[in-house]
Amino acid sequence: MSNQLSNNLDSSLRTSIDRSVSNPVMFFFTSGAAWLAVAVLLGILTSVKSHWPSFLEGCGALNTGRAYIAHLNVLIYGWAFQAAFGTIVWLMARLCRKPSEKSGVILMAGHLWNLGVSIGIIGILLGKGTGVPWMEFPVATWVIFLICYVLIAVWSFIQFRVREGGHVYVSQWYLLSAIFLFPWIYGTANIFIFVFDGHPVMTSAIAAWYKSAVVLLFFIPIAIASAYYIAPKVTGRPVYSYNLAIFGFWSLMAVGPWAGMQKLMGAPLPPLLGYLGAGAAILFFIPAITVGLNILMTVRSNGERAKQSPSLRFTAAGIIALVTMGIFGIFLNLPSVLQGVQFSMSGYGYEMLALYGVFTMCMFGAIYFIVPRITMREWLSIRFIKMHFNLSVYGIIAIVIGSILGGYLQGNAQQAWDEPWMNAATSTYAWNVFNSFAWFFILISNLFFCLHLLLMWMRLGRRSNHPTLLIEKHGDSPHGLEGKIQTT
Amino acid sequence: MSEENSKPDLNEDSNVLESHMDLIDASAASSRENHLRENGMEPVSLWVFLACGIALIIGGAVIGKGGSISFGALNDYVLNGYIQGDPPGGEVVEMQPKPIIDVFVKNGAKIYQAKCQGCHQSNGLGDGANYPPLGNSEWVTGETAALSQIIMNGLMGPIEVDGRVWNGAMPSQAAGMTAADLAAVMTYIRNSFGNETGDVVSVEMGENAIAKYKERGVAAGPIQVAELESKYKLNLEGEVVDPQVKVNPETLEKIEE
Repeated sequence: MSNQLSNNLDSSLRTSIDRSVSNPVMFFFTSGAAWLAVAVLLGILTSVKSHWPSFLEGCGALNTGRAYIAHLNVLIYGWAFQAAFGTIVWLMARLCRKPSEKSGVILMAGHLWNLGVSIGIIGILLGKGTGVPWMEFPVATWVIFLICYVLIAVWSFIQFRVREGGHVYVSQWYLLSAIFLFPWIYGTANIFIFVFDGHPVMTSAIAAWYKSAVVLLFFIPIAIASAYYIAPKVTGRPVYSYNLAIFGFWSLMAVGPWAGMQKLMGAPLPPLLGYLGAGAAILFFIPAITVGLNILMTVRSNGERAKQSPSLRFTAAGIIALVTMGIFGIFLNLPSVLQGVQFSMSGYGYEMLALYGVFTMCMFGAIYFIVPRITMREWLSIRFIKMHFNLSVYGIIAIVIGSILGGYLQGNAQQAWDEPWMNAATSTYAWNVFNSFAWFFILISNLFFCLHLLLMWMRLGRRSNHPTLLIEKHGDSPHGLEGKIQTT
Repeated sequence: MSEENSKPDLNEDSNVLESHMDLIDASAASSRENHLRENGMEPVSLWVFLACGIALIIGGAVIGKGGSISFGALNDYVLNGYIQGDPPGGEVVEMQPKPIIDVFVKNGAKIYQAKCQGCHQSNGLGDGANYPPLGNSEWVTGETAALSQIIMNGLMGPIEVDGRVWNGAMPSQAAGMTAADLAAVMTYIRNSFGNETGDVVSVEMGENAIAKYKERGVAAGPIQVAELESKYKLNLEGEVVDPQVKVNPETLEKIEE
C-alpha cells in the first residue's frame, strides 16, 4: 500500500509539472506545426520551380531566390526552434522534478519569437533578406531572437540548478549543453557576420560553420535528449549501456564545433580549416553510431512496444536517420567526393536529413508523448498517426535519396567541363520532379499532423485512460480501446 | 479536487484511496508512465568500436591532408585539384586568333592606361601646358628608334611638337617593360589619337629597342633632343610583320590558316 501511495504522490507531482508548463509547451508545438505547414508549402513551391521555372512567374515575392530561403528559414526558426523549445521546457521540468514558475514569461517570449519569424519572413519575401545562409532574416531580428531565446531557456537552467535529487540523467546532459551552446553559436555567427566588418570570404566560412554547428550542437542534441527520454520511458527498460551514453555525448561535444567549413574547400582560406571541417564531419559518425546503437538497442529490448507506441516509432525512425546521417557524412566529406558535390543539391539533402529525418522525426515522437500529458486527453485517431508516420518516412527517404544521389550525379556532371554547363543543370530535372513528389508526401503527412494537433489543442482529444496505440484489429473502433471514460 | 479536499489525508470525511484513484484517472497518461532507468550495462559489440576506429582513421587522414596552419600568401591557399589543368579527355580550347594589330592595340591600351595616361591624358592630347600631345606628333609617328628611346629613357629639355616648344621632364618608363609591352604600347600610340601609321612594331623590334636602351646605359638618365637627332633618327631593326596576320592573343604566336 505504501508503494501504491508513493506512486500516487509521484504521479501527482508529474501531473502538477505537466500542468505548470502546459500553456507554453502547447503554444510552441501548435505554432511550430503551423509554421511547418508553411515551410512544407514553400518547399513544394521551390522544388516545383526547379523543374518548372515559369510556375507563378509573375509573382516577384515568390521567385525561387526568395521562396527557397523563406522555406529554409521558416523550417528552422518557425518550426525547428519552437519544437525544440517545447521539448526543452517540458523535459527539463520533468527531469528536474520541478513545476515551472515562469510559464507566463516563457509564453510571452514565445509570442515575441513568432512575431520575429513573421517579420523575418515578410522581410525575405519583400526582398530584404541578408543573403547569409540560414541567417536570411533582416539583420535587426537576430537580437530579438537572442533575447527571446534567453527568456525561454534560462528558466530551464534555473530549474536544473534547483533540481530535486542530485542525479543528472543522460537527457539532461544534452539539454543543458544545447541550452548553453546555442547562444554561443548564434551570437558568434551574427556578431562576426553582421557587426564586425570582416573579410567576405571569412564571412561565408562563418556562415557555413553556423549551419553545421546549429545542427550538430543544438538540434541533434535536443533530438537525442528526447530519444534518451522516450526510449527507456516507453519500453520500461534501462538505457542499453550507460558507458556508451557517456562516450556518445563527449564524442559529439568534441567533434561538433569543428565541422562546417568544408563547404568552403578550395576558397582562399587556410586549407586546414576546410580539411578540419571535412574531418570533423566524417568523425560525426562516431557519436551518431554510438547514440544510435544505444537507443535502438533500448527500443529493441521491448520490440512490441516500439510497434505500438507512436512516440517510440517516430523516435526510432529519427535515430535510424541519425545513423544514416553519420554514414552519409563519411562519404560526402571525403575530399575527392566533396570536390564534386560542393556546389550541388546534395548539401540540401544532407541538411534535410538532419533537420527533418533526425530532428523533426524525434520531435514528432516527443510531441506524441507530451501532448496527451499536458492536455489530459488522448490522441484521437490511430489512422491519422499512421498516415503521418508512413508518409513522413516515405517523403524524407525520397528527399534524401533524390537530393544526395541527384546532387552527387549533378556535381560529377559539373566537373565534366568539356560539356556545356547546361547539361549538368538539365541532368537534375528528373531528380527535381522526384523531390517535388516527396515534398507532396510530406505535405499530406503534415496536414494530418497539424489537424490532429489542433484538435488536441482545442481539448477535443479522447477522454480515456487508455493510450492511443497503433494496434488495429479488424472490426475495432478506429480510436483504439475505449477504456474508462474520465469523469473529471 | 475540491477545496475542502485539498488535504485528503487529514480529512476524516474523504476516502483517501478514492481520491487517489480519481487523480490517477484524471492524469491517466502520466500515471501509467514507467520510471526512467539508465543503468544499463549491456556489453557493447566490438564491431561498433571497429566501425568507430575506421571512421577515426578516415577522418584523421582527411585532417592530415590539411597540413599545418599557414597564413601565407594567397597562392598557398590554393588546394591541389581545385585549379584544373586540361579538361580530362577533351582538347585544349584555343583562343580565337585575331589580327596582330588589334591584339597589340588592345594590349597597348592597357599599358598606356597604367603608364602614360597620367600626363598625356586618355585622349592622348596632353594637358596643353606641360605635357605635349601624342596625336599629330612627328616624334610618335616618325622613326621608331627615337620614340622607343624617349619611352625607355625619359626626356629632358625642350622639344618641338605640333608647332610648339615644350619644356618639361619625362621620367623613364623602363621599369617592368618587356619587349612585347613596348611593342604593344608603341603600336597603340602610333595608331590612336588621330595617328594612323597602320604598321605594327613587332616584338623583335621591341627587343632591338631594349638592346639600344641598355647599350646607352641604364643609368644614363633622360635623353635630350640633340642626342635623339644625332643617334636615333632611324627605325628599329627586326622582323616587319603584316598588321593583318592572325596571332593567338595570349601567346602572340602566329597562326597559319
